[in-house]
Amino acid sequence: MNVSGLNFILVGVLGLLGVGLYGLMVTRNLIKVVVALQILVKAALLGLILAGNLSGAVNLSQSLAITVIVADTIVAVIGLSLAVQIRRHLGTLDVKALSHLRG
Amino acid sequence: MAAWLVLLTIGIPWLGGLCVWWLGDQRAGLQHRVASAFAVLGAGVSLGLLRFTSPDVILRIPLGSAFGDFTFVADGLGVYLAIIATVVGGLAVIFSNDYMQGENQLGRYYALTLLFIGAMAGLVLSDSLLLTFLFWEITAFCSYALISFHNDDPKAVAGGIKALIITQIGGIGLLFGAIISYVYLGNYQIHLFLQGVDALPPVVLAWAAFGFLIAAAAKSAQVPFHTWLPDAMEAPTPISALIHAATMVNAGVYLLARFFPAFEAVPGWRLAVMLVGLVSALLAAVMAIFAGDLKRVLAYSTISQLGYMVYALGTGAVFASQFHLLSHSLFKALLFLCAGAVIHAVGTRDMFEMGALRKQMPFVYAVFVIGALALAGLPLSNGFFSKELILEYGLAHGPFWAYAGMLAGVGITGLYSLRMLWLVFYAPAHSAKQVHDAPAAMRLSLSLLALGTLTTWLLLGPFSAVLAESLPYHALHAESTLAGLGQVLSAWPTWLALAVVLVGMATWFLRDRLAGLAEPLQSVLAFIQDGFGFEWVNRQGVRLTNGVASGLQATQTGLLGWNVAYIVGGLILLLSLILWGS
Amino acid sequence: MSAPVFVWLILIPLLAAPLVYLGGRLADRTSHWPVAQALALAALLVTWLPFARTVGEIGASGRMGITLGSVSLCFDGISLLLSAVALGLGSMVVLFSGPYLSGQIGQEKYYAMLTAMIGVMVGLGCACDLFNLWIWFEAMAITSYLLVAFYRDLPESLEAGVKYLVQSATGSVLVVLGISLVLAQTGTLNLAEIRAAIRALNQPSPLLLAAGGLFIIGFGVKAALVPLHTWLPDAHSQAPSGISAMLSGVVIEAGLIAMLRALSALADVTLMWGPLLMGFGAVNMLVGNLMAFRQTQIKRLLAYSSLTHVGYMLVGLGVAVYAGQLDGAQGGFFHLFNHGMMKGLAFLAAGALLYALHLAAGEHTPLTISDLAGASRKYPLIALTFALAVFALGGIPPLSGFMSKWQIIVSGFETRNLVVVGLVVFAALNSVFSLAYYAPLVNVLYRWQPSPVVSRGRTAPLSLQLPLIGLAILILVAGLWPALANPLTSPAGTALLAAFGR
Repeated sequence: MNVSGLNFILVGVLGLLGVGLYGLMVTRNLIKVVVALQILVKAALLGLILAGNLSGAVNLSQSLAITVIVADTIVAVIGLSLAVQIRRHLGTLDVKALSHLRG
Repeated sequence: MAAWLVLLTIGIPWLGGLCVWWLGDQRAGLQHRVASAFAVLGAGVSLGLLRFTSPDVILRIPLGSAFGDFTFVADGLGVYLAIIATVVGGLAVIFSNDYMQGENQLGRYYALTLLFIGAMAGLVLSDSLLLTFLFWEITAFCSYALISFHNDDPKAVAGGIKALIITQIGGIGLLFGAIISYVYLGNYQIHLFLQGVDALPPVVLAWAAFGFLIAAAAKSAQVPFHTWLPDAMEAPTPISALIHAATMVNAGVYLLARFFPAFEAVPGWRLAVMLVGLVSALLAAVMAIFAGDLKRVLAYSTISQLGYMVYALGTGAVFASQFHLLSHSLFKALLFLCAGAVIHAVGTRDMFEMGALRKQMPFVYAVFVIGALALAGLPLSNGFFSKELILEYGLAHGPFWAYAGMLAGVGITGLYSLRMLWLVFYAPAHSAKQVHDAPAAMRLSLSLLALGTLTTWLLLGPFSAVLAESLPYHALHAESTLAGLGQVLSAWPTWLALAVVLVGMATWFLRDRLAGLAEPLQSVLAFIQDGFGFEWVNRQGVRLTNGVASGLQATQTGLLGWNVAYIVGGLILLLSLILWGS
Repeated sequence: MSAPVFVWLILIPLLAAPLVYLGGRLADRTSHWPVAQALALAALLVTWLPFARTVGEIGASGRMGITLGSVSLCFDGISLLLSAVALGLGSMVVLFSGPYLSGQIGQEKYYAMLTAMIGVMVGLGCACDLFNLWIWFEAMAITSYLLVAFYRDLPESLEAGVKYLVQSATGSVLVVLGISLVLAQTGTLNLAEIRAAIRALNQPSPLLLAAGGLFIIGFGVKAALVPLHTWLPDAHSQAPSGISAMLSGVVIEAGLIAMLRALSALADVTLMWGPLLMGFGAVNMLVGNLMAFRQTQIKRLLAYSSLTHVGYMLVGLGVAVYAGQLDGAQGGFFHLFNHGMMKGLAFLAAGALLYALHLAAGEHTPLTISDLAGASRKYPLIALTFALAVFALGGIPPLSGFMSKWQIIVSGFETRNLVVVGLVVFAALNSVFSLAYYAPLVNVLYRWQPSPVVSRGRTAPLSLQLPLIGLAILILVAGLWPALANPLTSPAGTALLAAFGR
């Protein structure tokens, strides 16, 4: 892989990271929060593949990446099911409505 | 044999506490009797230790790793304090039979009291600094739990927690010294510390010395850590007598006395000790003149008398300080139990609501007079002899300005003692209520304490002999009773002090004329009654903590975005720190 | 190939979990027999057998291992400690949860997830490469999400669950990023091989420094480091009390251990890890105390106080990593063990009161300090054990919390470094400060006048109180005879020091 390709992927990782974290901090919709979380995970996966490529441990990084995908899918499913419950009981998906526990 | 006695002195009260708790509050009558039995038994066992006093380690329990060995030594200093703890404890428990009649949750009361008695005995008999610290903490815990015994009274709870926090903060000073001993000398043993103190670097020794001074000042309610003792008066009065007059507050003085040979050479330490004692003695005595609550007067008086003992240690008079500690334990416990009898009969602690009790409570009046004589330092009470010893030694070996201050304190002591006696027993009656004199169990404790107050000065000779033999590092000399007493009576400072006391007492009779002077000094009076500013410092501390905590609470917004932002912020900060630091 | 016996510690709970779930579902819903709980309890009790054998076999070498292809599991002193705490507290919680959850729908999921979580935590302790570590860590997180949000009909519970999930997942992502950095630099994820590769490098690598920072923050979310802790008070107070006990008592500690394992691979990169841990410890202690001081809800107060105790552990372990003091490592791990017992007991006792005063009547209101007034008259055993737990947490001798704190403070003095000594004295001061909010709880409990809530309270069943007695006895014994815990804490301490090469 040539150097500019590496840089491109690095920028991609950092960009996705930024978008994901920004989304988590700013978004008010719970579904968007789960999506932002997924973007973060993709950033991490990209980083993992990049690292595997850089150091030559391609198989290791791929197997870890697949495991991460599985694990975070489960997390996303749980998150979305919680979102469904919240919509059912609170009638809204606004994160601001989820701020009764404070102090 | 001595090892068994030590274990029994600690164990019998503890076992008693367990039994009383187990009996349950339904059988209150039995609880009173069982507690008294165990307390008296413990006292008897501790008296047996008198035959075995020696500076040798008599019991060793190894614990390993950072905990060292638990060792016990039954030397004169430890044994006499253990005897005071168990004997006065026993008398307080007997007194409680009447005082706590009809109260709820007696199991908790007696269990904690007996736990305290055992722990106090263990504290003074321990030779391992870790074990001493352990017992120190247990006594602080019992003190807190008993002050706040009436949990439904917010003042009692606040007083208990204040006492707990302040004495625990002081305890860190003791922790300092204990761990320094372990780290630099490899063990926690006190006798090895005194033996090998030269192996410590001077700076480290100084840290240990001042750490112990802080711990002692907090435990013995000396300035600036004295603010917990007046508030601790919310405790039931037998507890005030036992813990806050006769035993736990002695622990600080005990600590300083035991480690005196190790620290006397540390530059500035003896002066600091003297100052702490002097300031406490004077400050508290002045506050006692203006207090209206009978128990508060006695609390201030305790602070002041402990100041005398601390001052004595500062000048190097180890024996005089311990002799006064013996006297004070007895007469202060006596005074507190009298106060308890009066409060129990009258139903209030405010002296201005008492008065003319001389005719109605003749027995209590008689023993109260004995206690007041001892407090003021008049013959033939034990307080007279021990206080004069302190003053003489202070004049001979300490700076003159300190002696002058302590002499002035003697006068003030006379003043507030007489004031207290007058307001309770002589002043015109404020209510037409008929009150009863003290019942039987109370009378028993009071008589024994009064007897002690009138006679323990005769033990000067044997007492000094026991201390001199069993404390090899303290360079004490035994004196016969007659020689010691003769020395006191023939020295001119004694008569000077007596004169000062009488002048102080006379001031009481001139109070009407002096009241005119007090008018423009109202704000000063308010300042004095608010504890010379120390209570203000305490309150500011609490306010500051609450303020900071509230501010911090605002950061827990409950909003997800903020929470993630904290994570991101933490990450950025940490990465910058790591990359900058490498 | 014969598997070393410790593998069973992981396998039994994991294999039992689906059986617990199925058994619970298949049993008649209205039967009074709590099938799921019984199966879970049976599984855990069976797991104690291989645990006993492991303790016997580990003595000589201090380590055991197994390798299946490229996956390897290593069992050392730290694994032993974590398994002991997880199994011990887990068994008590399963016993406790029976009456606590009676009548609640979804119990089979609860017990299945709880059993799985215990197995997964043992697995976490056995990981010797970063891949494995992350998998077990994530699995633990997943099982705990479902347990925290157990009360699916309560908005507060859902709120706590969502926040916990999002923050914990963020942390996991950061850990993966850290793993990729390590992989990029060294080409391997095995802890021992990473250390070898680092030693082969001649100059310090910024990638590895960044990886260390990511590990601290990523695992630190789970280990409740300040300022990553914001999920903790919500999750610990809304979860069923048995899960609160597990979360505070084992889960955050498991996060701490995962962080230490990951950092141990990077031990040769910089000497900053020890001071960083100590710094976080100092902040945790202070923030935990100040926040707990202001709380009026019992479970929230206990949750914040967990921050403080993680702080003590960090100080002890940080001193060990920085200065190689075995007392620090042993003290930190002893405190980990004690905290599991003490905080577990505190949460279970609070849970028992919550059950008797609120849950049994069908209310899901939180337990406040004023609710406790006079509770000692009606619930003497629960009040006594709660008081014991709370005073142990405050460091009053002769209870176990005092002993572990003492060991940590001694280790700080042993470094003879003024800053470190100042730090442990600060820790001692924090311990004193914590009494300012622990002691009033006991005062309120022992009032004579009961609160209206207490007057209306129902009885607490015996099986709710049994685990309380067990934990209380453990706390007393460990306090009176701290050397009894040495077989657990000493191997863990030496393993930590060995991992960091000291």
